[in-house]
Amino acid sequence: MDLIQLLTELTAADGVAGDENGAADLVMCELSKYGKTYKTRLGSVVCELAPAKEGGEHLLLDAHIDEIGFVVTGITDSGFLRVAACGGVDRRLLPAQEVTVHGKKPVYGVICSTPPHLESAESAAKVPKIEDIAIDIGYTKEQAERLVSLGDTVSIRQPAALLPGGQITAKALDDRAGVAALLLCAQRLSRETLSCGLTILCSTQEEVGARGAKTAAFAVAPTQGIAVDVSFAYTPDSPRAKCGELGKGPMIGISPTVSRSIFSRLKSLAETHTIPYQVEVMGGETGTNADMIQGVRAGVPMGLVSIPQRYMHTPVEVVSLEDVENTAQLLCEYAKTLGGGRA
Amino acid sequence: MIDTIRTLSTIAGVSGSEDAVRDAILREIEDYADCRVDRLGNIIAFKKGAKTPKNKLMLAAHMDEVGLMITGIEENGMLRFTTVGGVDTRVILGRRVLIGQKGARGVVGAKAVHLQTSEEREIVPKTDSLLIDIGVSDSEEAAKHVSLGDTAVFDSAFTEFGDQMIKGRALDDRAGCAILISLLRSPLDYDAYFAFNVQEEVGLKGAKASAYEIDPDVAIVVEATTAADIADVPPGKQVCVLGEGPVVSFMDRSTIYDKELYQLAFEAAKRRGVKCQPKRGVYGGNEAGAIHLSRSGVRTIAVSLPCRYLHSPSCVLKKTDITDAARLISELIGQAAEM
Repeated sequence: MDLIQLLTELTAADGVAGDENGAADLVMCELSKYGKTYKTRLGSVVCELAPAKEGGEHLLLDAHIDEIGFVVTGITDSGFLRVAACGGVDRRLLPAQEVTVHGKKPVYGVICSTPPHLESAESAAKVPKIEDIAIDIGYTKEQAERLVSLGDTVSIRQPAALLPGGQITAKALDDRAGVAALLLCAQRLSRETLSCGLTILCSTQEEVGARGAKTAAFAVAPTQGIAVDVSFAYTPDSPRAKCGELGKGPMIGISPTVSRSIFSRLKSLAETHTIPYQVEVMGGETGTNADMIQGVRAGVPMGLVSIPQRYMHTPVEVVSLEDVENTAQLLCEYAKTLGGGRA
Repeated sequence: MIDTIRTLSTIAGVSGSEDAVRDAILREIEDYADCRVDRLGNIIAFKKGAKTPKNKLMLAAHMDEVGLMITGIEENGMLRFTTVGGVDTRVILGRRVLIGQKGARGVVGAKAVHLQTSEEREIVPKTDSLLIDIGVSDSEEAAKHVSLGDTAVFDSAFTEFGDQMIKGRALDDRAGCAILISLLRSPLDYDAYFAFNVQEEVGLKGAKASAYEIDPDVAIVVEATTAADIADVPPGKQVCVLGEGPVVSFMDRSTIYDKELYQLAFEAAKRRGVKCQPKRGVYGGNEAGAIHLSRSGVRTIAVSLPCRYLHSPSCVLKKTDITDAARLISELIGQAAEM
């Protein structure tokens, strides 16, 4: 599996929270090669890679399949679309961005940008409120209504590309990079005999509150899990203490809510297999699916592995291919040794 | 004509770095006109028509586009930049750019929204606080890909969408160049000079030189002008509207246009049965500002394409306006020649 191609395809698929089928179908197709794969009632994709044994460990590896975006809330008299945010959209960078409206067919659009001559210096420095955002799809109201309905989702358009430094940049690498790591992991582990049960979960609606993971984890009922997401990679405008570094390996998370034993095992496996890693320390909840899965049924001890990412929630998210590869390798080693398996 | 616009809009040509655009235009026109390139880099093309006009005619469009220029390489390999021409500060963040002749790809990123304070989320960051990230870890490696003074453009594809709409980078003024190219490639009623100018976006530098050199009696500037016919802008502030035809100006910030030419433009539209609209408001400026003041003065008019999101990576034009503009201008040439 070529990682660049995989990430390119995964990020080209669209899956705004609540409308993940584009991305989920692609992942379903891949995962079904490795085990019984199904969709939950809330659209998450579940692949039973190795069946759980009675009384044995059953590991859940999770990454979320959804991305931030918008949902159409109205069509103006002149044919522009009104939207609400799905997830944490950075409103500062929206003017003149390109989008796809997921109507009866995919509809191209540009987010309106008020010409500077209509702005005072003061108003030009102000960021538009979400209710002031409008999308130009180049149609009259009548034409627009034939293609677009209220509730349709809108995703950012930005096909993947490589930077001179070798990293990949695209929209929705949060968390398709994590999904890619799980797909690599599934491919490799499908050739192994595992001592533990292993289920892969590509969960929906993380960006609006981890709703897909909560419900899917209930269905899977694992004995422990690892959430695989992206986390902040340092850039000069970011607080150093909250960031890892791009290209320095997966960030193994620890917080009061993260299982210390899973954290320790991940670290020692990284060291044993000389996989570069970084430790990410958080003072409370992690802001990932780990928080939600932990509380499922009678409780699930959770680990957290994050791929360092620059410019999260922008159309120009950046991750290092090596970090994705190393994340996959670390997860493989974890699954292989769980339940008494040999490293 | 749309194919020409598509081709031209994908070529990088920030002010002062128009070479590739010039080469592409020369290839399109050299079989149809006497072409030369002047000392500043403008193309001056002369095309013989059926008749010699009473008034010497000049048609002008500019080859350059707004963009960015690399001003520094940080120790950590990040690039500092300045804007070239009036790039809207609000459209730089969260963009992909292509730098220099080799087109090294970079991103103008922003820290995650999760890490921003509530105040930071509401303020457009100043351009001089932004950096271009090309994914290298130090200045030495960065220098292998970029040099100080390299220009950069937004990485934005040409797209057709909606009802007859096109979107692309640099449609201001590659669409104007395409109209001039199409006129040059068809028979003309009158002899005419065509100037494809450099450095419009940094102060009309090219037009000043080519107008002096051509020394016309009458000039027609073919441009793109800002259209504010978008959501939440009341009709009185929209300036012009896509789909209502080319825009003819009576006045902008740098020119009071020739009144007879202004009337002739509307008459020409009527005779050809194409739409045409006045620019409703005194905003902006174009090469007319330099051309009408050339030597002892030049009677000048601007015919512009209404363009949404001008000076952004996503300029939007309507195809019918472009074909209407080309028809109007070819009719207007005859009127301007003999007025």
